[in-house]
Amino acid sequence: MKKIAPDQGMLYYLISKKRPDLAKTIKKTGMIETVIVGLGGQGTRHAALMQQYGTLITAAIAPGRGGTRLLETIPIYDTMKECLTEHPNIAAASIWRHYSTAKDATIEVIETGIPIVVLITEGIPLRDVRDILVAARKHNTLLIGGNTPGVIFPPEGIKIGMLPDVFYPQEISSESFGPKGVTIISRSGAILYHLSDALASIGIAQNAVLGVGGDGAIGSTFRDLVPLAMEYKNTDLVVVAGEIGGCQEELLAEDIKKNPKKYPKPIVALISGNHAPEGKTMGHAGAIVAPGQAYGTFQSKREAFENAGVPVANSQYDLMKEVQIKLHNITYFNTGNYYKKMKTVWDAPLEKPSWGTIITNVLPNNLILSGYSLQEIIEQKGFLETAYLLVKGEFPDKKTAEEMRKIAVEAATLQIPKVKQFKNEDISKTLVKYLVLDDALAKYPQEGTTGAVKKTMFCLGRTARYLSGVLDTEKALEKLSGNEPFSHIIYRAITGNTIVNEKHCRMIETMIVASVDHGVTPPSAQATIIAASTRTPYEVAVAQGIGVITDVHGGAGAKAAQFFHECIEKSKKEHIDVSQSARILMKEYIEKGKRIEGLGHRVHTKDPRRDVLWNVASQTGVAGEHMKLSKIVSALFEQVRGMNLPINVDGVIGSIVADMDLNPSIAKALFIYGRLAGLSAHYFEEISSQPVMRRINFAEVVYRGKEPRHLM
Amino acid sequence: MKLYENEVKKIFDTMKIPIPKQYGVIHSAEELDQISVNFPLMLKSMVLVGGRGKAGGIKKAQNMAEAKSLVKTLFNLKIKGLPVESILLEESVDDLGACYIGTTMDPATFNNVVMVSASGGVDIEQVAREKPESIVKQAIVDNTKTLPKKIAQELASALSNNLDKKIETKKRNKLQDNLADIISKVYETYQRCDARLCEVNPLLLTSKGVIAADAKLVLDDNALFRQNDLLQMLGISEKRHDVAERTKNELRAQVAGFPYIDLLPENFKKDPQKLYVGLVPGGAGYGIFSIDEVATIGKRFFHDRVVPVNFMDSGGGPTQNRVADMFHLLMDYPIVDIIITSRFGGISSCNIFIRGLIKAVVERYEKGLRMIPIYGRMVGTDLPSARTFLEKEKHEHADALQDVHIVIGNQRIMADVIREGIQKTSESKGWKL
Repeated sequence: MKKIAPDQGMLYYLISKKRPDLAKTIKKTGMIETVIVGLGGQGTRHAALMQQYGTLITAAIAPGRGGTRLLETIPIYDTMKECLTEHPNIAAASIWRHYSTAKDATIEVIETGIPIVVLITEGIPLRDVRDILVAARKHNTLLIGGNTPGVIFPPEGIKIGMLPDVFYPQEISSESFGPKGVTIISRSGAILYHLSDALASIGIAQNAVLGVGGDGAIGSTFRDLVPLAMEYKNTDLVVVAGEIGGCQEELLAEDIKKNPKKYPKPIVALISGNHAPEGKTMGHAGAIVAPGQAYGTFQSKREAFENAGVPVANSQYDLMKEVQIKLHNITYFNTGNYYKKMKTVWDAPLEKPSWGTIITNVLPNNLILSGYSLQEIIEQKGFLETAYLLVKGEFPDKKTAEEMRKIAVEAATLQIPKVKQFKNEDISKTLVKYLVLDDALAKYPQEGTTGAVKKTMFCLGRTARYLSGVLDTEKALEKLSGNEPFSHIIYRAITGNTIVNEKHCRMIETMIVASVDHGVTPPSAQATIIAASTRTPYEVAVAQGIGVITDVHGGAGAKAAQFFHECIEKSKKEHIDVSQSARILMKEYIEKGKRIEGLGHRVHTKDPRRDVLWNVASQTGVAGEHMKLSKIVSALFEQVRGMNLPINVDGVIGSIVADMDLNPSIAKALFIYGRLAGLSAHYFEEISSQPVMRRINFAEVVYRGKEPRHLM
Repeated sequence: MKLYENEVKKIFDTMKIPIPKQYGVIHSAEELDQISVNFPLMLKSMVLVGGRGKAGGIKKAQNMAEAKSLVKTLFNLKIKGLPVESILLEESVDDLGACYIGTTMDPATFNNVVMVSASGGVDIEQVAREKPESIVKQAIVDNTKTLPKKIAQELASALSNNLDKKIETKKRNKLQDNLADIISKVYETYQRCDARLCEVNPLLLTSKGVIAADAKLVLDDNALFRQNDLLQMLGISEKRHDVAERTKNELRAQVAGFPYIDLLPENFKKDPQKLYVGLVPGGAGYGIFSIDEVATIGKRFFHDRVVPVNFMDSGGGPTQNRVADMFHLLMDYPIVDIIITSRFGGISSCNIFIRGLIKAVVERYEKGLRMIPIYGRMVGTDLPSARTFLEKEKHEHADALQDVHIVIGNQRIMADVIREGIQKTSESKGWKL
């Protein structure tokens, strides 16, 4: 069903009464932005429910958690002031703080001038509530609550608070809702379900439901809200749901009598507590303040309303009858549709638990990094820019890119710790040693999103240097000029050459970029994320991820390079066709129980990184006989084994490494180096958007990042 | 939370509001011997209700013999149903005039309001009704921690002008300063203690100056968490309930951890011509409303022969065991003929609710305990799993659950469910309602 536009609904009307200028902005943007204050268990859960219902939550406030994110995507700020500088159009706030801290948090929100403030917190000391009320009056705030279940606007699909999705709006066609209906204003939350139930059973729509709140002192009373609801053109009738205790009902009745013009539309009152045990609610001091007025009882309220000409109901049947009389038996929707909708609401299976990542969307035959397909990135972007994208969600502008380059280059010039590499030690293990022993990396700050991306750049620079340690090419990094492109530094570290072959340089960087990330499910990403969930330092968490890159995970490229070498050598030595030597070797491998690496993929049948790597290899002139073989290896394998396993990115990288005559182990080094960028991004995402020590089910991940987009 | 007079006076003493000399509090007649007192002596029953004087709970003794006999009388006294368990012994002061000073929150505007009256020492509510003009009120709109000096002076001046006109000017000026000081302190006590009400009635004008002869302070329950120092000073370790003694059911519910109030007196005799309805209704708001709903339906369709017996707040996501306790309590309560229940929620789970309900009923069936019909409805979170469970159990425990009638979904409103439940139960009893 199509909802009504936000600027047609009652919430917009309330905002326009308080802040006409802000209302104009909303008219332009078509969005009513809200903020949630207080992210305890309740606030966090209801943030998700509000969002699911349709509320636009632009930001959240939680002291000490500034710079992190709620529900993976909503930025959290330490203070309301900071939040408003970033999001000046926020029009409503819901406050879920604990009663002991609610006062300061609420006054802070009120003082920033937000027009609608819904105070959910229950049990705030009265003295604090009075301070809040003083602030609300001063700043002309529409304060709802405390101790309110909140407000809900079914036609526009917005709720601020915890009211569930049981209130049904007007239907104007089988596809769209309308804004008209009855507005319910209630002191109790639990009773609302039964009011809505009764009204819906006779086809009466609710265009807004406002819970005034149950505490001893509240921001807005019936007398404040009923006239406002009536001014809103689409409200046809107001149901006031009162109860024994306090004097709101009596004050409303008195005002209706005194100022009938403020109440041009019909009202039906429902009062509960006719049979409630006596002497529990009525305070004696009140009677002194308002002498001569007995109030607080069912009788006093009923008499007051009846005196003002307002019918009073005390049961569902009477409520239905009185509303039907006042509205001349109008209906706003087909009750059959309503029941059908409620049935789908209640019968809906529980939503599968999920959590989100905004880094990479892993699709069959496609990898989307923050909205961009990896193929496009591989063709057009360098390693540092891609790492920047992974961590920050956007590519850097020119100036920032230069700043990032400087950080990485500077990091590559600093000395690295002395690390002993044992015989046959896996590269990944040696790199782990460097990472955890490197004091310079440990000391490098990482605060905020800028800190995160700078630390990543620093680490990538350091790792170029670690690689030179592993590959014994440190000499090639000795005389670096500060202006050198970072790709040159990578090239020097990988090859040990000081004179840069631009084409090879580009090829190497391309292979690294092709390896940057594959979502949260590869074991390396899982290891880093689990480590990050305990808030271990950055270098420890990424070292966990690097440490699990072994022959089994990420080692395929090196093995494939090795295999291609063997095939070519055999064909040369025995003067046979490459395809023949490959088939022979395959059979041998299979007989020995060895895998042919570089074939097949869990997700992709056509690896998205394949063609673009082949293309670059051709463009740079690197492509040779190994790559040629790589293009037919799949078909050969099928002839030998009868299985169709397409070549994957490891196979392609292996062939290119072989064509470049690099040591096969370089293929793995390139993979690790690239993946370090992805691991950094996952580390920073985890610490900024998830609770500590959460139970992580990697199968439950959902991509919640940017929509698909293209590079210019 | 209401405080006892002796407790309030302790607080007044720390706030430097003058009070009569306190000799002590006794809990039995014998304790009188252990306390040294002077005569005349005031004996005041410590009960948390107003109108103690009128009910004979406050006495003056001229000597020990009289004191002893009065103490005995007082300990045998019940004031508005409350037994006298302790008596405050304090100095008797002379009375040259009495006035009233109080601070509370205006329930209409939520502003603080300071009230003074020269008609002190009597029932102030009665004064408010009969002579409203004799009470001077001042709203404090900005919730300041202390009373602005000017306002204190104005109120004191209004008060002293209304007092006995014969006070000479010099004395009057001093009295006025004195009163302004007390008014400020009463306001400050109200704010500092997080009170809902702070009241001195009467404030006596004596030859030694003004003295707070009686004192009343009601604390804001919401703020008790930050009034630890105060509670510690008074030796109060847990929250006191203002309501009268709890019934057996109420105590049981309190232990089980859910709000419950009996609507009928403790040893109510059941009228066999009437049908008594127990309620497990969901949240507090519907807890109150469902009582009305049952009574209204009884009046309209069943010749007023239907009596709701309880208030319960069963909302807010109770555990399975707590739900079971709710049903056990009502089924153990011999008066109840039928239970009406409703689960309607966006938050609390239908599944937990139905499991608790069935657990209670099956347990009772197996143990041969009293069973009564249950009629109700459930809608909300976890409905599919709740329905599956209910169907399975209805099959497996058909006998135990034959009188459990739960409508699923909201096609029928609760009023219809209540009406049907009452109808069916009365029919099964062969009643002609």
